[in-house]
Amino acid sequence: MGSRIRTAAGALAAAAALGLAAACGGGGGEEPAKSAAAASGDPANPVELTFWSWVPNIQKAVDAFNAKHPGIKVKLETITPGPDGGYAKMLAGVKAGNAPDVAQVGYDSLPSFLVNGALEDITQYAEKDAAKFVDWQWQTGVFGGKVYSIPQASGPMAFYYRKDLFDKWGIEAPKTWDDFAAAAKTIREKDDSAYISTFAANQAPWMIALAQQAGQQWFSTEGDAWKVTIDNPDTRRMAGFWQKMLDDKLVKTEADMSNGWYKDLQTGDIAGWIGGSWGDAIIRGNAPKTSGKWAVAPMPQWPGAAKFASASWGGGSASAVLKGTDHPAEATAFAVWLTSDPESVNILLSAGYGWPSIKDTSRIPNLQQDDTVFPFYGGQNIWDVFKEADAAVGLDWRWPPVSDALYSTLTDNAKAAVEGDGTLADAFAKTQTAMVEQLKAKGLNVVATGG
Amino acid sequence: MAGTTGTRTTGAAGARETPPGGASGRPRRAAHTRSRARRGPRLHVAVFVAPFFVAFSLFFIAPICYALYESFFTLQSSGLGLTEPTIEFSGLANYATALSSPAFVGSLGRVLVFAAIEVPIMVVSALALALLLDSARARWRAFFRVSFFLPYGVPGVVASLLWGFLYVPQTSPLIDILSAVGLPHDFLGPGTILFSIANIATWQFAGYNMLVLIAGLQAIPQELYEAARVDGASELRIAWHVKIPMVRAPIILITVFTLIGTLQLFVEPLILKPLTTAINSDFTPNLAAYNQAFGQSNINLASAEATIIAIISFVVSFGFLRVVNRKGNRAW
Repeated sequence: MGSRIRTAAGALAAAAALGLAAACGGGGGEEPAKSAAAASGDPANPVELTFWSWVPNIQKAVDAFNAKHPGIKVKLETITPGPDGGYAKMLAGVKAGNAPDVAQVGYDSLPSFLVNGALEDITQYAEKDAAKFVDWQWQTGVFGGKVYSIPQASGPMAFYYRKDLFDKWGIEAPKTWDDFAAAAKTIREKDDSAYISTFAANQAPWMIALAQQAGQQWFSTEGDAWKVTIDNPDTRRMAGFWQKMLDDKLVKTEADMSNGWYKDLQTGDIAGWIGGSWGDAIIRGNAPKTSGKWAVAPMPQWPGAAKFASASWGGGSASAVLKGTDHPAEATAFAVWLTSDPESVNILLSAGYGWPSIKDTSRIPNLQQDDTVFPFYGGQNIWDVFKEADAAVGLDWRWPPVSDALYSTLTDNAKAAVEGDGTLADAFAKTQTAMVEQLKAKGLNVVATGG
Repeated sequence: MAGTTGTRTTGAAGARETPPGGASGRPRRAAHTRSRARRGPRLHVAVFVAPFFVAFSLFFIAPICYALYESFFTLQSSGLGLTEPTIEFSGLANYATALSSPAFVGSLGRVLVFAAIEVPIMVVSALALALLLDSARARWRAFFRVSFFLPYGVPGVVASLLWGFLYVPQTSPLIDILSAVGLPHDFLGPGTILFSIANIATWQFAGYNMLVLIAGLQAIPQELYEAARVDGASELRIAWHVKIPMVRAPIILITVFTLIGTLQLFVEPLILKPLTTAINSDFTPNLAAYNQAFGQSNINLASAEATIIAIISFVVSFGFLRVVNRKGNRAW
């Protein structure tokens, strides 16, 4: 306790000192230039930064940064993915005062990092770069008007499907959810063993993305209280749709990304998947013999939607500057460069980090022509579909500081519904109750809810 | 025998070689040794057991104490939670939360049901295998002993993955065969999942428990068998009336092992969880504690749950031992 207060006090003092230094820096016009100069460091005596990430091959991007920035030396340490222990390690590091300067943190986990007091306020260093990034992705790192992280990548969703089979069955990629249900029915009639997709009750981020696309969001803030609206009309409509699909046995109920599911992808028993942009690598890797037979279409739409709507699977990932760093300016500069420099983005893209968070993707070679990806989809430039999808992700989605609990609770409830214990709508309602209790148990303010 | 004699001779020769003065010195040295024997060994013992106690305290006692300590606190935030949370002493509140949570209490009930299924299956199958290998007519004992024991060498995670493949319809030759002959083959449904897990556990540990029993069987004096045969007892009768009563202690031992193992069921449901909708994150008490710690970031509640599991395992296993020991050696 004592040491924690001291650390916090130290951080405050450091922040105050930095603020003072900036304030003493003279005229406002000079300030950005000064902070930029500070961020590039001194080549003779480079600033050393530590970066924790689990993206494969990200070392190449870090090397590229080091080569171009002699004043800053970034050391990459590869850790286990956040949900598998990486986050626990980061939080323990912050607690112990030996955390890395920059760490990879999922959009869904940033609020719980904030609640744990593990993020550094980098508003003054990062504000000027906001325009480089897609709005909704940038906003995931902004809380109460302050910037805490730089977005890396997201997982915009689209519909992967077996075009050859769809052609054989005489159906087209569904444009609306009604089309989706009709296509599912046709497939069941034409092929005894084939399904349009699975309902992945094991996959909370997937179900959340379906709800995100349906319209009303789940979490928002009202004053200094969280408002929980999981059980809202849009989510209920989405739940009702999938419940009917389950009742009519039009979808499988096996877990996605499981051995059975991979086998079904290989045999064509599962002919479609509403998946994230990174899902391309999963299909190519697990069903290589189906090359050339796939295509990607935008996510089916709800009738009467004002404009095209999509969602992002589990949000995405950010480079967060962790509390306790001695070099917030350099750390921010590195985080911004990593995910906005075209060279770095191109490296990360082929490493499979997700969909870039930058607005201008015209200078990313791999998005224009990718000879390992496009032939698998019969030559289609699937990235055009995902670019459109990423631009259509809702701006107002907020992750709660308890998203890990949200995941396990939702999965348990949805599994129960698939087993026939209540409906999917009940599952979302139960999740709502559990989340309200969870937030209250943490001492957070929660306002009356229900959509 | 020859070796012993040789040593003795050398010893005697050595004694003979000692100079005359040595004779008077010898008692003194003996006395010195004896006094060291009283004082010294304590130091020796301390030196030899110190590594154990240091490691035991560091990696066993200390974590338990830390878990106990953590279980009495709660992390409290306020407002939106944008400020750093505080740690507050909350007494037994975490224990109350755990014991009033239907999911956690349900998981306790589930493992008790599981123990009721698994313990008899395990003990009977281990005993049956041991008796078969110990019977007079058994052939290729060494081969079968190793084969039965082999699954124990497979790590629990690998065993669960392996059986997971056999339980999933798309990858399982087992299910192909069962469905071809028209037998029921849903291994991952809510009604069958406990049996599927029991199957993995039995496959893995029956061989090990069998070895424990075989060791017990081999310690039975041959005279007892001879006496029984003279009295005209058949092999079956010898097994029932001589062998089983004589391995009573190892049977109790493997029962306690299995009981503790089932109450702490963790790896199998964790690995099978992604494959089925019948396993949720609070399926067993251990899984519930794991979920609290790593799924819901509530280390404090997880510590309370872990403590409850430890207490229950302790009470159940020692309760079982008391019951069987009270009945004593008379009634079995």
